[in-house]
Amino acid sequence: MDLIELLNYSVAFFTIFTTVFFLLLYFKYRGRYYAEPEWSGWTPSISIVIPAYNEGEHIGKCIESVLALDYPKEKIEVIIVDDGSTDDTSERASAYGDRGVKAVRQKNAGKGAALNTGIREAKGELIATMDADSHVTPGVVKGLIPHFEDPLVMAVTPSVKIAPSNSLIKEFQRIEYLMILFSRKLLSYIDAVPVTPGPFSMFRREAFEKVGGFDEHNLVEDQEIALRLQAGHYKIRSSVSDGTAVYTEPPDNMKDLFMQRKRWQRGGVRNYWKYRHMIRDEFGDFGMFFIPLNFATLGAFFIVFGLLLNAVFNMPYYAQYILVESVALSVNMFTAIGAFVLVASLLWLYTAVSSFRSERIKLRYLLLFVIFYWYMMMGANLLMAAAEIRREKCSW
Amino acid sequence: MERKVSWSLYLVAFLISAAVFVAGIYVGRLMDQNDVQELNSDVEGLSQRISTMQLLLLSGSDSEAFCPLYASELSEIDEEREKLGYELTFLEEKRNIDAPELKKEYFVIEAQSYFLSGKLHELCGDDSVLLLYFYSNRNCADCAQQGMDILAARDAVAPEGVSVRIYSFDGTIGSPIAEAFMQQFGITEYPSIVINGEAHSGYVTKEQLIEEFSK
Repeated sequence: MDLIELLNYSVAFFTIFTTVFFLLLYFKYRGRYYAEPEWSGWTPSISIVIPAYNEGEHIGKCIESVLALDYPKEKIEVIIVDDGSTDDTSERASAYGDRGVKAVRQKNAGKGAALNTGIREAKGELIATMDADSHVTPGVVKGLIPHFEDPLVMAVTPSVKIAPSNSLIKEFQRIEYLMILFSRKLLSYIDAVPVTPGPFSMFRREAFEKVGGFDEHNLVEDQEIALRLQAGHYKIRSSVSDGTAVYTEPPDNMKDLFMQRKRWQRGGVRNYWKYRHMIRDEFGDFGMFFIPLNFATLGAFFIVFGLLLNAVFNMPYYAQYILVESVALSVNMFTAIGAFVLVASLLWLYTAVSSFRSERIKLRYLLLFVIFYWYMMMGANLLMAAAEIRREKCSW
Repeated sequence: MERKVSWSLYLVAFLISAAVFVAGIYVGRLMDQNDVQELNSDVEGLSQRISTMQLLLLSGSDSEAFCPLYASELSEIDEEREKLGYELTFLEEKRNIDAPELKKEYFVIEAQSYFLSGKLHELCGDDSVLLLYFYSNRNCADCAQQGMDILAARDAVAPEGVSVRIYSFDGTIGSPIAEAFMQQFGITEYPSIVINGEAHSGYVTKEQLIEEFSK
């Protein structure tokens, strides 16, 4: 067996193993998938911090959804932090002053800084952070609070989704978000939630006192704070129930989508590298399984990319004389294993999407997602990770 | 922090993955066998076709009037033979499938085809360049490059109307016909080439080949 074959088989085995592992995890805990902790009737005060930069278009819907929360009004504080917007975000936010919404304006300093400004202003026992282009369903706060009955739980993430639409690119992201949500729920079973999503996450005030505020110089500050909480041995819980749904507005064109993913990928690589010291037994499955898994996945991406290049450039010269036959003859043992890998990935996708009872995805979107979007984004993520060799200024 | 994932979960995941993997290997082996069988049947088909042509020649149909038919038949046989050769090489190089017996049968076809070409030259004055190429898949650093150069040189002279018929032999698999040819032309090293009966030992560049073909 030569090196190429060894790499091929290693990546295939790794992919099958990871998929099987997570599917087993799902089947092991399936009975608790939608189960939420019992609510004792505890109604802590909540501050909802919404940083905003040029969100005039969305801020109204966001605030309206927060004001419609099914929670005692006197227990909710809403703080909008306008991060030096150049549109009418500030005016629109200020217009809600008579309904108890507090608008704070600061010089443009980035999302992390805006979040910290809001947290400093916040008086609630629990602090929720929320993106201005998202909107919540009324039950989200009530649905998440019971998780905080466990004193070690410092953060809880809701069911972050994308609303159905007729836009193909949004539907692809909708499927992707369901997969992410599914994965996050599975990771919460093993105390390995790696992110507190920007669209909406709820924290115990104490969390910021213990580990500090958001990193103001981080491309994905919502991930970095989660990693810091994990490093502090605190728990992050995740909910997938419809009652805690939060809808976010995804990029509606490829350019914005790639810009977003570039930020996620580059920031993600930096963050995992920063927290690589957590690969130790004291950090449980997060340290001993999840972080190594991330590095291994990145490594596998690079190997697959290298193998593809090798296959293209090392096609025998004579293959031009038997192009059709050489393609047919290329179907080999690895192709058979590759087919199993594909089936395992499809099973994973199907299990993830079908685990959400209320979500209906058109079959043609699922197929198009697999054929075009999935592999395209994997490739893009790889290139972006590869580009993560130089630091750049943090921005929105 | 407490580990939630038990070793048994890892073990079960590993065992299932291994089972899937073994199933993939099994299906892959079936594919390998199927490909070899298909090639085997192609070789047999071609062998019958060559035998038919030989029979025609032996039965006294060696009149020049049949030359266009022979030329056309030989051209088709050559095309099919060459394709089979590429496929065998592809299996060997890219899939690591060793099928020495199949290769030996294929070399017999090559030899038969070579003799038919010679006959066509005698009978019909066909002026194709006949090239015998001897290679080894073991310990021959230049063989892969030589193979590519031969094809490139053939393609280079084709627009000038020069036809080159290539017959390749792996001299290290114990093929009696390959060994007989090597003895006949005094071939002792790899790569070696015989162009219209003239032996060239060692690597021959593409430029030299083009020159030889154009003579």
